[in-house]
Amino acid sequence: MISVAEPWVEAPLKRFVDDARVMFALLIYPSGQVLGQSGFARAVDVMSAAALAAGIHATVRELGRTLEGKGFRDVFHAGAKRRVYLAEATTPRGPCLFLTVFDDQSSLGLVQLYFEELRTALAQAKVQAPTAAPMLDENFEAELNRNLAMLFGRAPGRRHITPTS
Amino acid sequence: MKTNMTPIISALTRQRGVTGSMLVDEADGVIIDATLHVGMKGPAFAALAASLYRKARLSADAAGLGGVTFLRLRAAEGHVCAAGRNDMVLVIIADTRANIGLIRMEMLKALERLTT
Repeated sequence: MISVAEPWVEAPLKRFVDDARVMFALLIYPSGQVLGQSGFARAVDVMSAAALAAGIHATVRELGRTLEGKGFRDVFHAGAKRRVYLAEATTPRGPCLFLTVFDDQSSLGLVQLYFEELRTALAQAKVQAPTAAPMLDENFEAELNRNLAMLFGRAPGRRHITPTS
Repeated sequence: MKTNMTPIISALTRQRGVTGSMLVDEADGVIIDATLHVGMKGPAFAALAASLYRKARLSADAAGLGGVTFLRLRAAEGHVCAAGRNDMVLVIIADTRANIGLIRMEMLKALERLTT
């Protein structure tokens, strides 16, 4: 099941999940705001994944700057059964992080292929200009909790769609 | 970047009608080595071709037919041929002028050399 905090994320994220056949997908701002997720059943899992993704991204970005003078754009980790892909995307509201987990029903090549489509769709999304000031990294936890309440709780703005197979 | 596999893979593109050849990791769907005409979307094609081959292999296995030795996809303007072994897939893109029988033989010979 897909749930999104902002409606313009819904169609591109659903298309990615349907095409790439991934198990989990999570789109967050570096500040901790969750834009959308697919596959997660519990808010605590989204919280863990978002925090870890932000941490991995920060680490890899600095590692890339140290080694190549610029941050690495994406990270891939192959586990025994599941694989993780973490990459940056840009939206009209600023940069965001995308985390996805997949098994042998998909492949790194397919995930990269469809992620490029998602990246393009997010960059071209028609959204209103941000109404609030940019979130600060020190507000990560508070922003994350507020968005998790929206995605999994009863807060206004919650949206659920079920992916077609 | 040239590898020790490049000569074997590029030799396949000398066959009539062949516009590209690539060796792809079946599980990850990423290119190991390739010789492609300018403008071909190698990574996208590799990912989809590896997925296609893998599904064909699983289908044949589920039907009790054993392993897939050779896969040929015929399209309006050409062919996609694939043969795999040891988690690698050799993929050829060819236009309608191609001699598929000859290409099949050369692909199986190339695969033998690539995987031994």
